[in-house]
Amino acid sequence: MGLVKKIVTWARIKSPWILHFNTGACNACDIEIIAALTPRYDLERFGVVLKGTPRHADVLVCSGPVTKQIEDRLRRIYEQMPEPKFVVAVGACACSGGVTDGCYNVASGIDKVIPVSAYIPGCPASPKAIIDGVVKLLASLEEKEEVKK
Amino acid sequence: MLGSLFYIIVFPGLIFLITFALIAEFIDRKIYARLQNRVGPPWFQPFADFIKLAGKEDIVPADSNAKMFKVAPIFALASAITAFLYIPLWKTSSLLSFKGDIIVVLYLLTLPTLAFFIGGWYSTSLYSRIGSVRSLTQLFAYEVPLFMGILASALLADTWSLKGLAEFYMAHPWFWVFNLLGFGVALISLLGKLEKVPFDIPEAETEVVAGGFTEYSGRMLGFLRMTLDVEMIAGSALLALVFFPFGLNVNPVLGFLIFIAKILFIVSLISLLRTVVARLRIDQMINFCWKFLVPLALLQLLLNLILKGVLLK
Repeated sequence: MGLVKKIVTWARIKSPWILHFNTGACNACDIEIIAALTPRYDLERFGVVLKGTPRHADVLVCSGPVTKQIEDRLRRIYEQMPEPKFVVAVGACACSGGVTDGCYNVASGIDKVIPVSAYIPGCPASPKAIIDGVVKLLASLEEKEEVKK
Repeated sequence: MLGSLFYIIVFPGLIFLITFALIAEFIDRKIYARLQNRVGPPWFQPFADFIKLAGKEDIVPADSNAKMFKVAPIFALASAITAFLYIPLWKTSSLLSFKGDIIVVLYLLTLPTLAFFIGGWYSTSLYSRIGSVRSLTQLFAYEVPLFMGILASALLADTWSLKGLAEFYMAHPWFWVFNLLGFGVALISLLGKLEKVPFDIPEAETEVVAGGFTEYSGRMLGFLRMTLDVEMIAGSALLALVFFPFGLNVNPVLGFLIFIAKILFIVSLISLLRTVVARLRIDQMINFCWKFLVPLALLQLLLNLILKGVLLK
């Protein structure tokens, strides 16, 4: 049983499919996320593929503060993803609300609405930082398995 | 009995076929990446994808017809694998050869598309329904040229069985050269069957999310993706036998290597085509198939009829 679990964990680390969701960003972080997926950085080397539907995704990449309007939609998208799932908050606004924190139409950072696994600060976060964040999230997955034993 | 079981389950049946299909998916993705000036995925990528999907949660949408939704992927995979058992690979006969098996293979290769339609339709999501209707619409466009291209070759051999076809072309070497036009037609039609890029209208990501696969997750999505891989190998094996029928009935090891080389040649042609062309609209695709592919296939039929009268009196 231990071997099967090890293989599944290995497969999860080697094949993270992501879903990009703009929760109200100013578009800067989205451009950087798209830049990280271009041939320049070629994330397919690590098995990262951008998917269109939450049903196929493992990692939800959110950018921007959660506006009051998008709060329910974010929660619904999160619930549509199959387990095990992870959320990455990209950019200062997604981590804490950033400069928009406290606005009348903003419900603060992503972690006030859904659980977040990794925070990537920056305004906007650079493609290299985004790749680094995702790699660290996947490395933490491996460590978690070891701690459980 | 034991030999047949070994053929079906281990080699060249289920286990070999699935491994080879996943490796072929890697080769396809790697060529695609290299042509786009990227590094591309590592060799184990399709295996990791499948294992990961197998270990994920299976979600069945509340509104969907659960039975049909769950059965469709298994049905699709089973029919694609069964089709492979009828195709002679490096001998002139296969395990289940009989008179008329060419029709059965073409039929079994059509069934996955029907299963994709049923699965997409019964997931009761808008995107799935649009995608599945599109996949059925394009079925009517590419299926006719594919059948005509393959059956033109069978017409020259004057047989309805793959065994007879292989034996005819072994007895008449270099006759396969006359079928190259038909090969082009069948290869382009195969792209439609595999839902690869010029004809990936059913699962166009930028339009309908993931088409008929939108609501699938976990193991069932893994089966659906594997169906497309296995279909690529089965379709390539059929094309390799019908259009490149040489190197059969030689030393088994040499024959196996020639078979692998033929399949990889067709797979790399598919990746090349899907890199250099962009997606068509559904109406453009149907126009293209009926205006260009079908006349070319008819030309091939005419050519083979004339050849039959001239060369084989």
